[in-house]
Amino acid sequence: MVENTQFSYAPETLSEVSSLSIRAIQLVEGLLSGHHRSPHKGSSVEFAEYKDYSPGDDIRHIDWKVVGKTDKYHVKQFEQSTNLKCTILLDASGSMAYRSPDSKSPGMDKRDYARTLVAALGYLLLKQFDAVGLTLFNDEVVSHLPPRSKPSHFQNILHGLQGMEFKGVTRVEGVVGDLIERLPGRGMLILVSDLLTREDDVFKTLKMLKSRGLEVILFHILHPDEVTLPFEGDLVFESLEDDPPLGLDPFDVRQQYQKAIQEQIEFYKKNCPTLGIDYLFLETTTQLEQALRYYLLRRKSLQKI
Amino acid sequence: MNFSFTSPWYLLGLLGLALPILIHLLTRRQQSRLKFSAVYLLQQAQKRSVHKSRPNKLLLLLLRCMAIGFLCLALANPILSSGGLENILTSRPSAHVFILDDSYSMSATSDQGTLFNRATETLTELIEKIPGNHSFSLVLSSHPARMVQDWTKDPGKALKWLKAVQPSHRTTSIGQAVTLASDLLNTAPQENKRIFILTDMNQNGWDRDEFPTTFAENSRTQIKIIDFSGLQKGFNRALVQKVKLSQEFLTNRRIIRVQATIANLLPDRAVKQLPITLFVNGKRQSESTIDLPAKGVATHEFSFPLLNNDPVSGHVEIQEDALTADNRRLFVYQPDRKIKTLVVDGDPRGVAHQHDSFYVEKALNPFSSPMADIEPTVSTLSEFSERDLKQYSVIILCNVRDLPIGLEQELEKFVLRGGALFIGLGDQVDPKYYNEKLGLLLPVTLKSINQVRTGDKPFHLMTQTSDHPVLKVFTGSMLKEMTRIPFRTLYSIEPRRGRQFEEPMRFTNQFPAVIESDFGEGKVVLYVSSLDRDWNNFPIHPTFLPWTQRWVKYMAQGLENISRHDVTVGAPLVLEEMEQPPLVVAPGGKIFVARKNSQSPPVFEGTHHPGVYELYQWAQPPVSGPVDSPPPAPKQLPADAKRLGGFTVNFDPAESAPGKISERELSQYFPGAQVDYSPADQALDAASVGAGVPLTTLLFLMLAVMMFWEGWIVRKE
Repeated sequence: MVENTQFSYAPETLSEVSSLSIRAIQLVEGLLSGHHRSPHKGSSVEFAEYKDYSPGDDIRHIDWKVVGKTDKYHVKQFEQSTNLKCTILLDASGSMAYRSPDSKSPGMDKRDYARTLVAALGYLLLKQFDAVGLTLFNDEVVSHLPPRSKPSHFQNILHGLQGMEFKGVTRVEGVVGDLIERLPGRGMLILVSDLLTREDDVFKTLKMLKSRGLEVILFHILHPDEVTLPFEGDLVFESLEDDPPLGLDPFDVRQQYQKAIQEQIEFYKKNCPTLGIDYLFLETTTQLEQALRYYLLRRKSLQKI
Repeated sequence: MNFSFTSPWYLLGLLGLALPILIHLLTRRQQSRLKFSAVYLLQQAQKRSVHKSRPNKLLLLLLRCMAIGFLCLALANPILSSGGLENILTSRPSAHVFILDDSYSMSATSDQGTLFNRATETLTELIEKIPGNHSFSLVLSSHPARMVQDWTKDPGKALKWLKAVQPSHRTTSIGQAVTLASDLLNTAPQENKRIFILTDMNQNGWDRDEFPTTFAENSRTQIKIIDFSGLQKGFNRALVQKVKLSQEFLTNRRIIRVQATIANLLPDRAVKQLPITLFVNGKRQSESTIDLPAKGVATHEFSFPLLNNDPVSGHVEIQEDALTADNRRLFVYQPDRKIKTLVVDGDPRGVAHQHDSFYVEKALNPFSSPMADIEPTVSTLSEFSERDLKQYSVIILCNVRDLPIGLEQELEKFVLRGGALFIGLGDQVDPKYYNEKLGLLLPVTLKSINQVRTGDKPFHLMTQTSDHPVLKVFTGSMLKEMTRIPFRTLYSIEPRRGRQFEEPMRFTNQFPAVIESDFGEGKVVLYVSSLDRDWNNFPIHPTFLPWTQRWVKYMAQGLENISRHDVTVGAPLVLEEMEQPPLVVAPGGKIFVARKNSQSPPVFEGTHHPGVYELYQWAQPPVSGPVDSPPPAPKQLPADAKRLGGFTVNFDPAESAPGKISERELSQYFPGAQVDYSPADQALDAASVGAGVPLTTLLFLMLAVMMFWEGWIVRKE
């Protein structure tokens, strides 16, 4: 269900923004102590390694002490740990507004889960003095916050998340096409989506992003209902996007549905690593803390290689 | 094929079918709506899925309904049978005409009684099952068809009648019966009209001309034909088709010859050594065997001597077969003491010995004795037309120029029925008349008169001996004497094409002298010369007397042959020769009076039973009622009643013909009507309670299958 959550300073909105902020901050504070190393090596204060001098290297970086001791020219290399520009693409299509009809359903709503995840990621990155931007999209770019590294930018992100409206159809390819010129050349792109779209070429779009030198992280979020189809009885399924209503007994299609959704998950799980894309499938029942921790550990292990 | 139920009340349970339908409608879940994100995946899954929950629900409903239906049907104890009689009888109010074939062919034997017994049993069952709001009537189809029960709804009288009814001795007339039934149905107010015909399909009774031309007025008339011929046990092998009696006068002993014609009814095989027996006056007279060719007839001749002049009655009987009625044929015969001969003189003259008939009369009864075997009566041509020819066994035409108008036809009838005609020619004869008017009687035409000129050698008879019954006695001196007789004038003849005749006597010039031919039952003899002395001297020779007498005795078969009456059962007997209606004593001894009105000869119509009927002259009491109504018959034969003769009533052999009307031919007889044919055994099955295939077990099995299936589907869901 898409709610009209236009940003305002009504007390309820403020409360929601505040709770989202608190959730994100708690999540992040509990996880890190601010380590987020850049995979790009360059000039920095932190030494990384030596390498043999070769023509073209900056002679300022020659370690003269080593030359004195070994009579060989070595150049110092440092890790670049500042100014990572990260853009978070959040799917704002209708399908992301799915809420379980069962009020006792465990976990968060999919949209809350996604928004919390994005807020937490934003906070995490800003905490490390990285620049974070937020782009909301469905079949087009709904809103775009360019990456900023100011801590106050978190408020803009929160405001963008709080005021967002989930509607429309997911069109990843078109959106990325529009957005690609505005994205930084070398940076990070985090895509948060349920990937429920009739599009066949989402993976091709990801491939294109990767080819532009972007670090791509894909968070695939689904509600458990969308994985297991637990409903009973004669139902008319009304699409949150643009599909026509469909009346059926879920019993009849459950097996086939589960198979289809699992195939989709398995597809991304299998193919994303081949492109160097970090893929993380998250059910809304999964603790976000666990998800973020898993993600950070994975990032760290990748950096060490 | 039809269903019948022994406990139809259980069918009310079918109302219970509403129960699962009601439950289905009441418990049908309301479709709730759910907003969902991946509808397109559901669509894809639905296309691939083999599960169909919704049809299953309908299937469940169907199975539950079927289970209730099978249960109710099983409890009603259905019987599957063919024939559909019960269905017909239990439908809407209808008018039924039952046509019962009571012809004698229905008396053929079956495993249980005769075909007629089986037909009456079936009819009894049908009438017993007729619902109270149905009307019915009964028609008998033996000739002439008649209604025996007018429209009624009360079966009591009809059932009582059916217990006593016996097959008639008549032929079938289904056409008349159907016409009668159609007329009856036209008077019936009900919309549904049916004609039931219970018959053996004997072809004899199906004359298309007798059927109604159309059933258009009764377009909803259903014709239900129940064929009993299949129940017949064995074949109707043969029948006695004809029995002919004749009296032998040529021999010294008085002999009756009985010639029986037996027909083989089997279409494809001969019958060998079929026993045949002659019964005379109630006693077994003679026995023999006869061989019958396939599809053919054969004759067997018995003879027995006469001891007195009393009438002879009896029958010829063959070995019993499926239809016994046609295995015997009755006869009655009145032997003659004398041969009554009528001599017609065509040229009477003033002097007696110049009459053409003079010598013939003298030859037949030379001493004018009343004890003589032959009793000649001389008649002129003018008197001839007033004579009753049936009173004579032999008629001799002597030099008759021509016959009065119409008399030639009387002569033909006379010979056809067994009379003998002897024609002597002469100068008065008009050959043109003989050739044109007597063509049926004479196998030859008169060509020309051959006369010997003065001085020429006369014609003579040939001298050879003969085996002919008349001539074989003329041998030796008698033959020589005959051959010396001079014939001066004679007619030459020319054979008619295709006609058969014999020439027992010839002249030396090879001209035939006597022409003998058969016509019908009788015999015609032509003598080409004159019977007086005009053309020859034969009448004054001693051999003329035996020659003439022998010809007369040879030709005569007795008066009974000419006046004999043999009618088939049900046919009226017209007693043309009688002026006053005689008394008729039927075989059982019951006395009737022949009907007579002022315009026509007496007629006796009470020939309902086969047998020998006696005719008696009766001094009729004064008529008290209307002129045409017969006086009441006396209970006993009056003392002064004089026996006039007898006649036989026999079965009509046509009814024995083996041909049957096939099912395929039926539609031609009933244009515009719905015809339903069923063999009797199937109809009997359908008509008998509980007959047919019980379906209860099958339905219970199907019920079990339905319940198992329903349970399986529910469990699966």
